[in-house]
Amino acid sequence: MSSKFDHDVIVIGGGPAGSSFARVAAGAGLDVLVVDKRKEIGVPVRCGEGLGSLEILKQGFVLPRACYSIEIEGAKVYAPNGKSITWRGEDTAGWVLERKVFDKWLCELAIEKGARVHTYTRAVGVVKDEKGRPQGVKVSHGGKEPYEISAPLIVSAEGMESMIARELGFKTVHSLYDVDTCYEYEMKPYNHENLIELYFGNEAAPRGYVWIFPKADKKANVGIGVGGLVQNGTKQGGIKGADPKTLLDAFVKKDEQLKDASTLLDFGGVISVGSPIDEFTRDNCMVIGTAAKQVDPIHGGGIGLAIDTGIMAAGTAIKAHERKDFSKNMLMEYETVWRRQKSPTLANRLKLRKILEKVSDDDLNHIFNTLNKEDLQKVMSSDFAPVAMKVLAGRPQLLAVLRGLMS
Amino acid sequence: MITIKHDGCIFCVGCSSVCPASAIEAVGTRMKTYPEKCIDCGLCVKVCPANVICLYKGVKDEKDLPAGAR
Repeated sequence: MSSKFDHDVIVIGGGPAGSSFARVAAGAGLDVLVVDKRKEIGVPVRCGEGLGSLEILKQGFVLPRACYSIEIEGAKVYAPNGKSITWRGEDTAGWVLERKVFDKWLCELAIEKGARVHTYTRAVGVVKDEKGRPQGVKVSHGGKEPYEISAPLIVSAEGMESMIARELGFKTVHSLYDVDTCYEYEMKPYNHENLIELYFGNEAAPRGYVWIFPKADKKANVGIGVGGLVQNGTKQGGIKGADPKTLLDAFVKKDEQLKDASTLLDFGGVISVGSPIDEFTRDNCMVIGTAAKQVDPIHGGGIGLAIDTGIMAAGTAIKAHERKDFSKNMLMEYETVWRRQKSPTLANRLKLRKILEKVSDDDLNHIFNTLNKEDLQKVMSSDFAPVAMKVLAGRPQLLAVLRGLMS
Repeated sequence: MITIKHDGCIFCVGCSSVCPASAIEAVGTRMKTYPEKCIDCGLCVKVCPANVICLYKGVKDEKDLPAGAR
């Protein structure tokens, strides 16, 4: 490469978004460097590990057997009163992943296409030219003296933390209202039906839900997500004692199977359940994946979106490289396409989340009693109005809450 | 400034994701705090799933922390 730069692109973060970007960009002949501050790609796992099959199949991937623990046939959703709806079908089928293996596999695919990956290498700052445009990053390997590497394009795929994205000028700080704080155990033994189980209710999980994602060998990821504003409620309208671990322990204690099960792993995290950041691109840089808050606001899942986005953004980066134009104007193509393709669905999901958090447990029970799985399907595909009508027929007083879904 | 009980920290980086002042960051296998940047807002305390963060309003230096806070 006969340019003044060390690389064509530097990607910060070797998760699903970063690796997918690197695979496609390197595949087109770009010199791509991925830096990841973790010592090992995919570790530590901070994830419920569920992934819908539709999200992956459309990319033409064949998921290697080692990347997932089991195949999921569908979902079983529980109302606060214990009534459940089981829903098997292609839109709820998927996998419970082994994220460690899965992330490494995605990263290896990028390496096979020619990308370079450096682990234990933390980006500590942005290098800018005299006009303030990013021209590289300062990195530190294993905490040692930082050094500069240069590239005309910096891609932040940093996930929740997104410290470099902030330095690049993106507003990636999360508000408490738009995060769920989560706790999860890996437990054994747990007998299951290869269904993802979700438990709703303000008592079990205020503004969130409990999930049981089954895994092979009678194991399961048992976790809880609680609205960031309600947990740790000493002030500002929070609920006292509503921290995710306490609530999860209470749930486990009440469950016939789980109360006698052992834990193999404790972990927690904070997931984004809000809307994407207001810009994904600036001169010489882009933000992709969870760093750009590109997640589903109902469940905080972001793997499928991250892969999609990585591929999409790489397409734009390849064009930018050909034209030697890394201005925001050029990079905007990724953002425009993304917003056209993804925003309508995500905006509807956010609307649904904001309405669900206003519904009482009693109303939730009523809603579950009224709905069948075809209705749930409509809800998932953002066809809210007929379902809202059906609910209102039996409980018209919910109109004030559900009005937002009628238009 | 804040203190983090590292023994109980599950290293989820939730605190740094909500910190408006970029005063907490995952470095190596620990969360690192930058007291000089901290604005004492307490959002990290509220979001922490492991309840291991304590806020000491107005304190800017580790040596000024009350006894037993470290």
